[in-house]
Amino acid sequence: MFLEAIELKNYRNYEKVEVSFSNGINIFLGENAQGKTNLMESLYVLAMSRSHRTTNDKELIRWQADFAKISGRVQKKNSSFPLEIVLSKKGKKARFNHLEQKKLSDYIGHLNVILFAPEDLSLVKGSPSVRRKFLDMEMGQMSGIYLHHLVQYQKILKQRNHYLKQIKQGRKVDEVFLDILTEQLSLEGAEVLKERYRFTKRLETWARPIHSEISSHKEELTIHYQSSVSVQSETDKDQLFTDLINNFKKIKKREREQGTTLAGPHRDDMLFYVNEKNVQTYGSQGQQRTTALSIKLAEIDLMKEMTGEYPLLLLDDVLSELDDERQTHLLKAIQNKVQTFLTTTSLSGIKHKLIDVPKIFRITDGQVEMESE
Amino acid sequence: MHYPEPISQLMDSFMKLPGIGEKTASRLAFYTINMREEDVTSFAKALISVKRDLQYCSICGNITENDPCDICEDKRRDRSTIIVVEHPKEVISLEKMNDFKGLYHVLHGVLSPIEGTGPEDINIPTLIKRLQDEEVKEVILATNATAEGEATAMYLSRLIKPAGIKVTRLAHGLSVGSDIEYADEMTLLKAVEGRREI
Ligand SMILES: Nc1ncnc2c1ncn2[C@@H]1O[C@H](COP(=O)(O)OP(=O)(O)OP(=O)(O)O)[C@@H](O)[C@H]1O
Ligand SMILES: [Mg+2]
Ligand SMILES: [Zn+2]
Repeated sequence: MFLEAIELKNYRNYEKVEVSFSNGINIFLGENAQGKTNLMESLYVLAMSRSHRTTNDKELIRWQADFAKISGRVQKKNSSFPLEIVLSKKGKKARFNHLEQKKLSDYIGHLNVILFAPEDLSLVKGSPSVRRKFLDMEMGQMSGIYLHHLVQYQKILKQRNHYLKQIKQGRKVDEVFLDILTEQLSLEGAEVLKERYRFTKRLETWARPIHSEISSHKEELTIHYQSSVSVQSETDKDQLFTDLINNFKKIKKREREQGTTLAGPHRDDMLFYVNEKNVQTYGSQGQQRTTALSIKLAEIDLMKEMTGEYPLLLLDDVLSELDDERQTHLLKAIQNKVQTFLTTTSLSGIKHKLIDVPKIFRITDGQVEMESE
Repeated sequence: MHYPEPISQLMDSFMKLPGIGEKTASRLAFYTINMREEDVTSFAKALISVKRDLQYCSICGNITENDPCDICEDKRRDRSTIIVVEHPKEVISLEKMNDFKGLYHVLHGVLSPIEGTGPEDINIPTLIKRLQDEEVKEVILATNATAEGEATAMYLSRLIKPAGIKVTRLAHGLSVGSDIEYADEMTLLKAVEGRREI
């Protein structure tokens, strides 16, 4: 899929701009603090209806303005349609084909993006919550059903946590009601688990050859989904449900003492191993970087496999961070198939000679100017 | 700017209604000044009457002018089947179908720890009492398909089933007359799930 053009109104430091993109590689060139990341972020928001940098939508509205608007035109194999996000103090509206989509799961998925920023190293180095968020955001784009189960799971989790907290504070326990909350949570939890496990395995399948090649065949990558219950390819949903329920029986006393839900997908993790050693603990900087890059590149292929279309690739400040070999590998992987957007403060740090006809935009204080085509 | 006292009082009242902010309230208040006297009087009377003349039925919890309500009092209705709903307006929708000839029970809410609503806070005790006293053979649970609606239905099912009463769940999902081809995956999934006994 391609993003043909975008229009921003009162978005961050952009008052009003219209930009048409190339289907190949688009370079946002500019000094620091001119609006390169803001422009990238707007593409991400158009796809996901939320920012990757903040959970507070108000920050996205230009100072002193009442609303911000992002509109774009997307082109797919058989169709072309407008998308629009309007943010105001009252909330946000998401429109697909001019029609407002009340449910997020109806909006997300029309435009797919993969973002790679320096912070993505935390995918390998950071806390488990970073990896869970990664799974949820990426899978949510590909599967409306996953998003639905995840939202249900989170709703029930909130109710169950409230109830456990009340019990901890001395409320009389209605055992029947607590059982039902536990069953409902396990039912949705089993769905979430099964899908996450499947996704992790597919991601591994695509990431292994990429990692092997970037490391000149010296490293072997494996990915492991870690959960309170054991999951294998052949484990079915009913089995997962039963295992989750049994596990809750085991930790019953502790949950009541602590007043919160202690197991389930919201506590799981995804672990990366290189040559059978955990990269998070034992990996060198270079190995961690290679792992993060392999995962992101694998996602491009995985997204194509699951949705039939390549996503947009957003590279914020990462190309210049990669050494020549990794840069070359990345460019080889995306050239002529994935519409790419990348930011940089100078062209000298990147192997732009490797890129066939990039479209270069100069970003200066919220203005966008085309430099060459 | 200051509004004259009667206007600001009327605006305050309008703003107590859901979805009405200051702008709309002021528009409605100024509109009221130019309304015909008898329209205003009957509006005021209707407002008072809806509060004073309506009460909750002591048997089923539905809103009614007389207690017990007309449905509970109607001797031609099938007393062996009860549909359980969340709110009175759902009774009205179901009655419009003109198909169901049994009785109702209105919970006035769903179980939700976040909102502090437990089984004692909605009309569950009165339902259990009804089932003990009357000859009920089937209870149809028609709470909404939200997480809380499902939890409430499952909870009731677990309380009622041991008494040997048949418990069914109203199927959610496909609306009557909608074409399967046009329903999205999730709706279909829900409709299929809706078949199960709980
Ligand atoms: N809501 C807003 N309204 C107006 N300006 C904003 C808003 N939010 C951020 N800015 C401004 O946008 C600028 C930052 O833009 P951005 O993060 O895109 O920089 P950048 O070009 O990516 O720089 P770097 O190369 O340092 O990453 C800052 O100067 C900031 O003051
Ligand atoms: Mg930046
Ligand atoms: Zn009644």
